[in-house]
Amino acid sequence: MKRTILFLTLLMAMLIPVAPSLTAAEADVEATVQEDEVTSRSEEKKIDPKEIIFEHLGDGYGWEVPFSHELRIPLPVIVRDYQGRWHCFSSSRIGHGQSYTVTDPDGDEMTFRLGGHDSDWHNKLIGLRPELVDGQTQMVEYRPVDLSITKNVCAIFIACILVMWMVLSVAAWYRKQGYKAPRRMHGAIEAVIEFVYYGVIKPTLGAKSRKFGPYLLTVFFFILVANLLGLIVIFPGGANITGNIAVTLVLSLITFLIVNIFGTKHYWKEVFWPDVPLWLKFPIPIMPVIELFGVFTKPAALTVRLFANMMGGHIIVIVLTLLIFILGAMGAAALGGTLVISILFSVFMLLIDVLVSFIQAYVFTMLSTVFIGLAQEEGHHDKHDTDESPAKA
Amino acid sequence: MELFTPEFGLVFWMFVAFAILFVVLAKWGWPAIMKSVDDRADLIDKGVEYAQSAKEQLDNARQEAQKYIDEARKQQAEILREADRMKTEIIEEARSAASKEAQKVMDAAKVSIEQERKEARQQFRDEVSSFALDIATKVVRGQMADTKAQTKLVDSLLDEMETNN
Repeated sequence: MKRTILFLTLLMAMLIPVAPSLTAAEADVEATVQEDEVTSRSEEKKIDPKEIIFEHLGDGYGWEVPFSHELRIPLPVIVRDYQGRWHCFSSSRIGHGQSYTVTDPDGDEMTFRLGGHDSDWHNKLIGLRPELVDGQTQMVEYRPVDLSITKNVCAIFIACILVMWMVLSVAAWYRKQGYKAPRRMHGAIEAVIEFVYYGVIKPTLGAKSRKFGPYLLTVFFFILVANLLGLIVIFPGGANITGNIAVTLVLSLITFLIVNIFGTKHYWKEVFWPDVPLWLKFPIPIMPVIELFGVFTKPAALTVRLFANMMGGHIIVIVLTLLIFILGAMGAAALGGTLVISILFSVFMLLIDVLVSFIQAYVFTMLSTVFIGLAQEEGHHDKHDTDESPAKA
Repeated sequence: MELFTPEFGLVFWMFVAFAILFVVLAKWGWPAIMKSVDDRADLIDKGVEYAQSAKEQLDNARQEAQKYIDEARKQQAEILREADRMKTEIIEEARSAASKEAQKVMDAAKVSIEQERKEARQQFRDEVSSFALDIATKVVRGQMADTKAQTKLVDSLLDEMETNN
């Protein structure tokens, strides 16, 4: 019981940093509404749920600091301009609508800034380059090759370091202690390792689990740690990594490559010449087309499943928190009511997200294992045997 | 729709970071862990198996020991019975041997006594006869002093012989 209370308070504490930045914004709204004079400012500062949601879900060039709406932890920006030169500077130089201009050795000036609301690349780093429009030279926005260490990239590094530390410490412990049973943190990590290794990998892959186990376990721990870090609102966490399609795309792309590179002959035969009646595959290759399509839909489903689940969880929690401020504008009673209900619901959703974090890591690993396992199958019957089986079927 | 378009920079860094993570863990992390976990599972399995077989062996050994003890007890009882039997037999034998010996000694004694007695009797008889002869000689000498008497005796003897024939 004590532990549940402690856990709930911790969750509340995690939620708090989201609130102040919003309250500050809201206070501004009220103040400006009373003043009436600076209407344009009030338009700008009005709560825009879409903007807030996208800011929390999306990537950024700095990392928010709790209790401050303006401060950002600066991160390095690495870009390649239209002339092929690489530039590296701090993200603090482009915060608050600033532009960063650097002079090339050639004497050309390169200007970078964040895209505004009207830009094609809103909140992304853009460069300006001169272009001839109607006989006049104008500065036109373009998107440079952007390899910046953004908030998400930084969060990926943090997640990787955490996973590396966890796993290597367990490995070191084993090397030192031999067959002793690990305790405390090592024991907890090992319980999860065994859950995945003996629950998913071994039963599916059998003798090949030593070959593919490292990849699958790495994927599992990376997703799990990234998911859980995403639920923590303040600095080391708070980035929506696994709810970003780029991350899940890379992960499922690697699974796709492993499945198809290590696929056996039998797997490719099943794709191009499956065990179905001849008319389904001979003049018009219906089944081979479907199977080939399946080869690509499997990783696509993996990508979208993890991405949508994690993003959905984040959106629900943010929306529930935002409800306080949206309905709060109606008056004190509405504010009090929604406050209690919203907090209760977001705590509940966060708890479910903890569960979902684990389940999604598990599901991704399990499906990757199954896909790899299917591609590892050797044919159980001979060639002439398979030629007859369609007739029987 | 910014959420649904993968950002190149993020894809690049994600790939790099994940590749490094994978290479490091695949080299120094997972193989050691998987090996240890597998080995330990095997060890535990083997330990359980060993304990079971040890228990079985112990039970067997206990049974065997019990069997030996029972057998030994039986043997002991048998030996004791045998010893008892032997004891009585020996005593019996000794007794019979002793009585036989005694009989023999007694018999020998009897024989020698008989012998002695016979000898004594013989001797006595010899002596008595010699005394009688002496006496008779002396008596005959006294009676056969005249010829008449002698003739009478010879006649009577001759008569006797005649009647006998």
